[in-house]
Amino acid sequence: MAIDPNIVELINADIDGEISPADKDTLKAMMAESPEAQAMHAELSGLSSSLGDLPDLDAPPYLIHTIMAKIPKPESQDRRGDFLRGLFAAPALRYAAMFVAGSVLTLSLVSSDQVSERAFNDVTGLVGTISSEVPVGPGIQTMQIDRTDVAGHITVRSSGPLLIVDFDLVSNGPIDIVASYSDQSVWFNGFAQLESPGASISAESGRISMKINGKRRYALYLHNAGDRNVSIHLRFMSDGEVVYDTDIQYAQPGQPG
Amino acid sequence: MKGDRHAFEALLVRYQKPVYNAAYRMLNNSEDARDVTQTVFLKVYENLDQYDPSHRFFSWIYRIAMNESINWLKKSSRQEALEHEAADQGDGPEQQAGDAQLGEGMEAALMMIKSEYRAVIILKHVLGCSYIEISEALDIPEKKVKSRLYAGRQLLQERLTQQGLH
Repeated sequence: MAIDPNIVELINADIDGEISPADKDTLKAMMAESPEAQAMHAELSGLSSSLGDLPDLDAPPYLIHTIMAKIPKPESQDRRGDFLRGLFAAPALRYAAMFVAGSVLTLSLVSSDQVSERAFNDVTGLVGTISSEVPVGPGIQTMQIDRTDVAGHITVRSSGPLLIVDFDLVSNGPIDIVASYSDQSVWFNGFAQLESPGASISAESGRISMKINGKRRYALYLHNAGDRNVSIHLRFMSDGEVVYDTDIQYAQPGQPG
Repeated sequence: MKGDRHAFEALLVRYQKPVYNAAYRMLNNSEDARDVTQTVFLKVYENLDQYDPSHRFFSWIYRIAMNESINWLKKSSRQEALEHEAADQGDGPEQQAGDAQLGEGMEAALMMIKSEYRAVIILKHVLGCSYIEISEALDIPEKKVKSRLYAGRQLLQERLTQQGLH
């Protein structure tokens, strides 16, 4: 038997939580005399519960940062570097320029007693490694960061005598990253970047400072003869204030970190 | 607020999850939902001066989210394929659903009803909007909200029954 359209409307309003107390009483009285209406109410109630049980999904990591990176920056920042942006518009030129910039920075900012020519040659052979996905496996440590100011991944892995720290990050604004380590037998061996223009890095014994703004992919190369376990302390600072503070460990495969 | 990055970021933090959920339920694809969510917020930023404060802010942002999702479906021609699939589902859905759980069946069933019905169901049951809020978000009369909800749920029920899930 067809259900009275008025009852159908009241049932739907009840399911939606938009029924007045008076109408609710009316519906109760009508349903008491109509098994069909009771069945319909139960059916819609079950459907409503099933819809409510659909998982509440989290937005993907870094969505905020990706969107913020696309929001136009204040004009004063946009005007800076127009000439360089034009010059490096071609991908080949851009990557070549980035590598040269990284190399020059490495040579000019690092104390000469920390870099040997042999070590730098090792680094140049490894520049391409940060353009590919880092595999997951023994001795490879990956850390995920999902903060309001900065988000992304940091991966530590070993390649021969080098320890490679791969920073794949997005920030909302300028962030200073200070990586420090206490093991005196470990020293800064080089730096490279891909996927983004502009680099800023300085290094001293046991401490490396970098600046990021927007999306950046940097790799630090640390000389780690003997494949020793290394702990690197990372501090992320915005306007001089620490916004995130963590440690990342490298452990030789088969050894605890 | 246009030009105020901090204020906009606060909006992003507040609304990224519901907007992403709405887009995901409209599109049933995480990458598409992410792209649509990005587009929604960029449009919000660009068009903040067009926001009418007499309406609730979330109604405005949900309207952009629903419109962008529907545009995305049109552009990708998925809507046509899905509706075609829904019309031909005499023997298809059982096989499609297989031993899927009710949640997966519900997601599939949602994609088999027209986007205009899906939109009201998502706004009501996923985002918890009232009739009046849905009316504002979709810019349709409240009466139409109710009729679409009733019809949409009926269609959804039929799809689930065809899949043997209800």
